[in-house]
Amino acid sequence: MVRTDRLSPAGLRAGRAAPPPRRRPARRGGAGHRPPWWVLAVFVLPALALYTVFIVYPLFSALQYSLFGWQGTRQTGLVGLENFRHLFGGIYGERLWRAFGHNLAFFAGTMLVQTTLGLAFAVLLRRARAGRRFLQTAYVLPHLVSPIVVGYLWSLMLSPQFGAVNAVLRAVGLDALAQPWTGDPALALPTLILVNAWQWIGFPMLLFTAALAGLPPEYEEAARVDGASAWRAFWHVTLPLLVPAIGVVSVLTFVGNMNVLDLVYAMQGSQGAPGGSTDVLGLLFYRTAFNNPDPGAIGQASALAVVMFVFVFGISIAATSVLRRWEARLR
Amino acid sequence: MSVSRHLRTRVLRAAAVGVALALAGSACAPSTDGGGEDGDGDVTLTVWSWRPEDAEGYERIFAAFEERNPGVTVEFRGYQNSEYPAILQTGLTQSSGGPDVVQLKPFGPIQSFIGAEQLVPLDDEVDLAAWPEEIVAAARGRDDGRLYGVPFAFQTLGVMYNEELFAEHGLEPPTTWQEMTEAAETLRDADVIPFATAGRDPWVLAILRETMGATRAGGGEFAEEVLAGRTDFTDPDYTASLRTVADLEPYLPEDVTAVGYTDAQTLFTSGRAAMYPGGSYELAPFATAAPDLEIGYFDAPPAPDAVVDTPLTPGFADGSYGVNAASPHRAEAVALVEWMATEEFGRAFAEELRQIPAVPGVAPADPLLAEMRGNYEEHGTPYMMSVYFGYGEPLGRDAEGQALADMLLGRSTEEEAGARIQREISAWFEPTG
Repeated sequence: MVRTDRLSPAGLRAGRAAPPPRRRPARRGGAGHRPPWWVLAVFVLPALALYTVFIVYPLFSALQYSLFGWQGTRQTGLVGLENFRHLFGGIYGERLWRAFGHNLAFFAGTMLVQTTLGLAFAVLLRRARAGRRFLQTAYVLPHLVSPIVVGYLWSLMLSPQFGAVNAVLRAVGLDALAQPWTGDPALALPTLILVNAWQWIGFPMLLFTAALAGLPPEYEEAARVDGASAWRAFWHVTLPLLVPAIGVVSVLTFVGNMNVLDLVYAMQGSQGAPGGSTDVLGLLFYRTAFNNPDPGAIGQASALAVVMFVFVFGISIAATSVLRRWEARLR
Repeated sequence: MSVSRHLRTRVLRAAAVGVALALAGSACAPSTDGGGEDGDGDVTLTVWSWRPEDAEGYERIFAAFEERNPGVTVEFRGYQNSEYPAILQTGLTQSSGGPDVVQLKPFGPIQSFIGAEQLVPLDDEVDLAAWPEEIVAAARGRDDGRLYGVPFAFQTLGVMYNEELFAEHGLEPPTTWQEMTEAAETLRDADVIPFATAGRDPWVLAILRETMGATRAGGGEFAEEVLAGRTDFTDPDYTASLRTVADLEPYLPEDVTAVGYTDAQTLFTSGRAAMYPGGSYELAPFATAAPDLEIGYFDAPPAPDAVVDTPLTPGFADGSYGVNAASPHRAEAVALVEWMATEEFGRAFAEELRQIPAVPGVAPADPLLAEMRGNYEEHGTPYMMSVYFGYGEPLGRDAEGQALADMLLGRSTEEEAGARIQREISAWFEPTG
C-alpha cells in the first residue's frame, strides 16, 4: 500500500528508481511442479464466489433495476434512462447537485482538518518519548464507536438547551462563541466535519505513523546536519516521501466522505437540517429508497446508486492515476 | 505422484465438506419457520408493527380473538419506527416466513405495496360503510379506490399544556389568539419556554403549522380548493398561515432549528416548556417519560385574520392493518383484520393502548383523548399534508417544514416559502379539477 520500500538511498542519490528487487527463485514444492489449474481454482473459488455474490451481483442488479419501471417491488418493464431523467430533472436535479456539493465540501473540510491533524499527530507522536502508546490508543478509540452513537452523543453535547458545549462556553464567559452549532445553516456542515474528524482522526494518523516508520531517519538527519530547520526538513524531505501515503489517505477519505450517511442522519435528521443545508447524497438516497411513496422508488433509488457509484469510482480512479504519476516523478 | 494424489484427495474432501456445509446452511434457513403451523394444524399469525411499545397491550387485545378462534395464535412483533418501512418492504417480498398481518402507514406509503400486489383487497371481506371516508381513505389504493386495510388509530392535533406551570403563573387555557400570545409572554418573562417544538425536523414544523395555522388558511376547504386546482400554495391565505407560525418564533425554544424531536419532547416533559403543539400520539410517550406530569389540552384559537373564525381540530388516520398477499394463512389473517373493524376490538384497543381507536362510536378510555376526539367530531378538519399531499416525494409535510425552517432562519419570506412548497409538491402532484 505504502510503497516507501522502493526508495533506496542509492536510488535517491542517483535521482532514479532503484532497480527492482531481484526475483527469488520460485519455491519448489514437494511435487516439483505447479499444481494443476483446477486445484488453484478450488482455492480461489470461495473468495471469488463471495465477491461475486456480495459485490459484483448487487452492482449489476442495481444497474439493471435502474433501467426498469417499478410498482413497489414488482418490475414493470424496460424504461431506458427514464429513472435517470427523473433524477436529474426539476427539483430532484437541484437537490442532487446540492447534495453533491455538500459531499465535496465535506471532503475538502475533512482533508483540511482530519488529514492535516492526523499527519501532525503522527509526526509529533513519532518524537514523543512518554505516553505515545496511550495517546495513539486515545486518538483511535472513537473509531470503535458506531457513527450513529457518535452522532447522538454530539447532538446531545451541542444541543442549544441541554448541551455541554454551550454551557461550558457560557460558564467561562465566551457567550459570543455559544452558537446554534447544528441549527445554523452556515455552521451545521462545518460542525459535522469536525465531529466526523473527531471520530476518524485515528485512521490517517495510523497510516501516517506506519509510513513514517518506513522512512529511514538518515534523510532528515542529513538535512538537519546540513543546517535545515526542523520545519524545512519536514517540508522538503519527509513530506515528499509521504506522498504515497497521502494519496492512499486521500482516496479512502474521498470514498468515505462521498458515502457518508449515518453521522449526518443521527445529527441532522433524514432531511439534512436546517433547511437542507446538510443534505448529502447518502441522505438523498435514503429518502429516495425508503421514504418515498412513489411506487417507482426502487428504480429511482437504483439510478441514484448507479450515479453515486460512477461519481465515486470515476473520481477515485482518476485521482489514483494522478497520484501514481506524482509518485513516479518523486522517485 | 503420490503427493499430488494426496493433495488432490485433500482438496476434494475439503471442497465436499464446504459444499455440504453450504447445503446444510441453506436447508436450515427455511426450516426455522414452518409457515407458522405446528403438529395439530394450529395456526400462528404474525402481526408486524412499528410500535414495539404496544406489544404488551396487543397481547391482551389479541387474547380475546384467540379465545374466539381456537387453534389460532396471534404473535405481535414490533420494529423500530424508523426502520419499519424498509423491513416491511423486505417482509412482504419474502415467499415464506414473512408476516401475515401488517401495520400499514396511512395514505402515501401504502401505494407501492398495492402496486406490487402484495396486499389482499378487503372490499368484499370487511364492511366499513359506516366509517368516515377521510379515515378509510388512509387504506385505499389511490388508483383503484379499493380497500387494503382496516384503520386502527386516529390522531388529532392540538396544544398540550403543563397544568402545574399554568397554575403557577396564573394562566388559563386561552380561547383567543391574543390570550395565547399574552400567556406566552408571561411564561417567557418567567424564563419558561412557551412552546416546545423541533425546528430541526420538518415533519414537526408541518404539524406546528397545521395546529396553529389551519384556521388562517381555511382548513379542509383550502385543501379541497388546491386538490381541485382552483388555488395553490402561493395563495395569500396559505402563505399568511406560514407567517402566523413563523411569527411565534420568539416563543419557541432558542435556536429552534437545532432542536430535534426528542429534545422538544424532553423540554415539555421536564417542565422547561409549558406548551407542546402536537398530536394525540404524544400522550403515551409523555406519560412514560413523566408519569406525574399533569397535562391539559386546548385547540389553538383562530389565528389573526383567520378564514375560519372558530377553532379547528386537525386529525388523520394513523395507519391500518392489512393482509400480506403471500401469507399462507390468508383466511385466518383476513378474519383477524375483520375482527379489528368490530367494536370489541375498538374497545379493547381503547382500554389497552393510549390511543384514539378508529372504530366509530368507541370512545377512548383516556379523558384527554376523549376530549380530543370529541373536539374533532365537533369541528374537525383533515390534517392536509398527511391526508392529501403525502403521495409523492418530496412529501407535502417535508416541503412545508423545510420552507418553514427557512422562514424561522430568516432566509425567506412567506411568499418565497409558498412558491417553493408549490414547486416541490407539483413535482408529483396534479390537481384533478
